[in-house]
Amino acid sequence: MSIEQQVKDSIEQAMDATSVDVAQVSGGHFEIRVVSTAFEGKSLLQKQRLVLSAIAHLMKGEQAPVHAVDKLETIIP
Amino acid sequence: MSLDADLKNRLDTFVKSHEVFLFMKGTRTFPQCGFSASVVEILDEYLPDGYETFNVLADQGVREGIKEYSDWPTIPQLYIKGEFVGGRDIVAQMHESGELTGLLGQGPVEVGPPGITITDAAAGAFKDAQQDEEFKDLRLTVTGQFQYGLSFGPAHDGDIVEQAGGLTVRMDRGTARRAQGMTIDFVSGKDGTGFKIDNPNEPPKVKQLGPAELKQKLDDGAVTHLYDVRTPAERGMAVIEPSVLLDEDAAAALGALDKKTPIAFYCHSGARSQAAAQHFLQQGFSEVYNLAGGIDAWSQIVDDSVPRY
Repeated sequence: MSIEQQVKDSIEQAMDATSVDVAQVSGGHFEIRVVSTAFEGKSLLQKQRLVLSAIAHLMKGEQAPVHAVDKLETIIP
Repeated sequence: MSLDADLKNRLDTFVKSHEVFLFMKGTRTFPQCGFSASVVEILDEYLPDGYETFNVLADQGVREGIKEYSDWPTIPQLYIKGEFVGGRDIVAQMHESGELTGLLGQGPVEVGPPGITITDAAAGAFKDAQQDEEFKDLRLTVTGQFQYGLSFGPAHDGDIVEQAGGLTVRMDRGTARRAQGMTIDFVSGKDGTGFKIDNPNEPPKVKQLGPAELKQKLDDGAVTHLYDVRTPAERGMAVIEPSVLLDEDAAAALGALDKKTPIAFYCHSGARSQAAAQHFLQQGFSEVYNLAGGIDAWSQIVDDSVPRY
């Protein structure tokens, strides 16, 4: 399974999302766009935490498949 | 993995030590990663003097610990008034939306025309080049790492515009801030022909000292820490006294010195010591010297009792 797909699956499993788009822009660098009602009433930091905690296991350690999330959009439908 | 209590205390102390505290890769003047550089760029707009940074590349414990402490997977990480704000993406969005102004209690500092001087020689060279150009306004760029760009180009929204040397100079806000009092000259000589920029805002550089100049500074006590970056075998053959071999222990002790301490480095001919001097400059030392020509030049000019090898 591609890393993009792993990221997408992890987010979808962790939260109720209308859509999740993941693109690898360069080696280990990703852009993620999530649309979800779960973001309602949350601050920018809380919204990003929600998504990042879902993929924390992919970002741990020196050899992590996800090195950085260059852009993270959290959208309320 | 849970956070070690000592490390947690250290991080607590860091984030409370300054109103605005940034964990980043590199330093304010030498960011080592694009994300860290872009947060520095934003903070510089609001607080040209007043925030503190910590270089996580210099401390593996902090580098990993801060991720756990903030429950945030990447660097940079910004704290304001002891509270975690976020990484690059969040800071950039809060800058765009104006939220950062509320959090910092002040907006971006107003930037006016920087007062650039273009000498007659430079103005002449620009006017020669201008004739073939579609756009007649000069665009100046000074990046956060003080790399310079000069070209003819169109106007952009938000440009700061200044007249200098009979030319219209356009630039963005960051450039205007970093170009205060800058002079653009045009020189021709044996070292080549081209534009020469003198910018008082540039961060400190490694200063080159000839053997006689270094001797003077050592005698005056203007430099009290001289480091030998050669191998112990070379040190056995010839040495400048007093100096310290830069081994691991000495490097650790040096790293703990006040960053304003004048420090100097030497090797056999000046290249290895230049690299070491550059390294400590990037660690935040502001007065860093290199012995140009190394101990070899020292033997010939200052002290012929030091053997050449």
